Amino acid sequence: MFADELKTLRRLGFRHVLLQVLNFMSVLASGFMMWKGLGLVTNTESPIVVVLSGSMEPAFHRGDLLFLTNPLDQRYQAGDITVYKIPGADIPIVHRVLETHDGVTIKKGRIAASRIAHDQLLLTKGDNNYIDDLELYQGLEWLERQHIVGKVRGFLPYVGYVTIAMNDFPQLKYALLGGLGLLALVQRE
Amino acid sequence: MHTIYARINNTSAFLSSCVTALLVAIALSSLAFTADPKGQLAVASIQVHPGNARRYANKKQEFAFVNFNVSAGTHLVMSARAVSHVHACSKPDLSPLFNWNTKQLFLYLSAEYTDKKGVANEVVIWDRIVRRKEDALISTTGRNKYVFRELSASFRNIPPANYSLKYNVMPYVGVLTYGEAARTPQPVAFPELQSLS
Repeated sequence: MFADELKTLRRLGFRHVLLQVLNFMSVLASGFMMWKGLGLVTNTESPIVVVLSGSMEPAFHRGDLLFLTNPLDQRYQAGDITVYKIPGADIPIVHRVLETHDGVTIKKGRIAASRIAHDQLLLTKGDNNYIDDLELYQGLEWLERQHIVGKVRGFLPYVGYVTIAMNDFPQLKYALLGGLGLLALVQRE
Repeated sequence: MHTIYARINNTSAFLSSCVTALLVAIALSSLAFTADPKGQLAVASIQVHPGNARRYANKKQEFAFVNFNVSAGTHLVMSARAVSHVHACSKPDLSPLFNWNTKQLFLYLSAEYTDKKGVANEVVIWDRIVRRKEDALISTTGRNKYVFRELSASFRNIPPANYSLKYNVMPYVGVLTYGEAARTPQPVAFPELQSLS
């Protein structure tokens, strides 16, 4: 089955394989650079997130893509949809802000990186949940700015389902990666 | 050159750029709709009752209870502070917000006040999801869905609060937009604490 491919590989030589590996790595590197550059511009660690749960239905379903920004000079307002990550929790959560309290800090004696970085307390709730998120905060009483990844600004349905499918069926991921790698190696042009 | 692989590749590339262009056009088109519907909102009264904090059962916490009436036609004036309900009355027709790229409206009624130390608070006490244009004429009677409490656990000496009805237009694809449909003309004061029975 792979005899033909192996033959072409042998014919093209070691240098060609090296060149293709280099090409592949440069594609990976530029993708990573674009992701991090976007993160710098929008000031969030992940400017694009995939919705993983149904707690914001019917607005956001599993697999929808959300585009985030986290402007340092803007406060969050009630009604904004935030993505937050509680220390110790492994996945970020997309929920709407229910309460904001500006100008209060919980812990004294901590040096803030920015004037507004730590003085806003937030409470969130999923549109599809009956009560607020206090139980999800793992002992915290309020969300603070440091827990917030970003504010949802844009929406694109369905596209993120690819990553969910790859997570749920790892075989798919390996098949896709292997196929791409093989194609990159044996491609002539 | 004309292998099946190349043909599939070209076709799918063309299709995906067409779909992308279409989606961008739809997302941009919704920026052209600039509806800004307005209604009125009046708060009749508020009730404050003592209770216990949610996490610490022996910690006292005061709760404000807000009864409001968002209805078509009638416009209640602000009544005496002694009345133990809040009546919010408005008739915002939000159907202009529904265009071909509107998936749903998220309506929320929030209370805004700044206490004497300068802490600015915004608390959502009621919300509703509107998914159809036919349901966008807001006419309802209700009470606050979510607990309304103060950071200091007491509403004593808290300055009057403004109440406003805001909306978030959520698109099928594109940018989320926000707006305000109604606001109380004057801030509404919090009443004295009432004891239960």
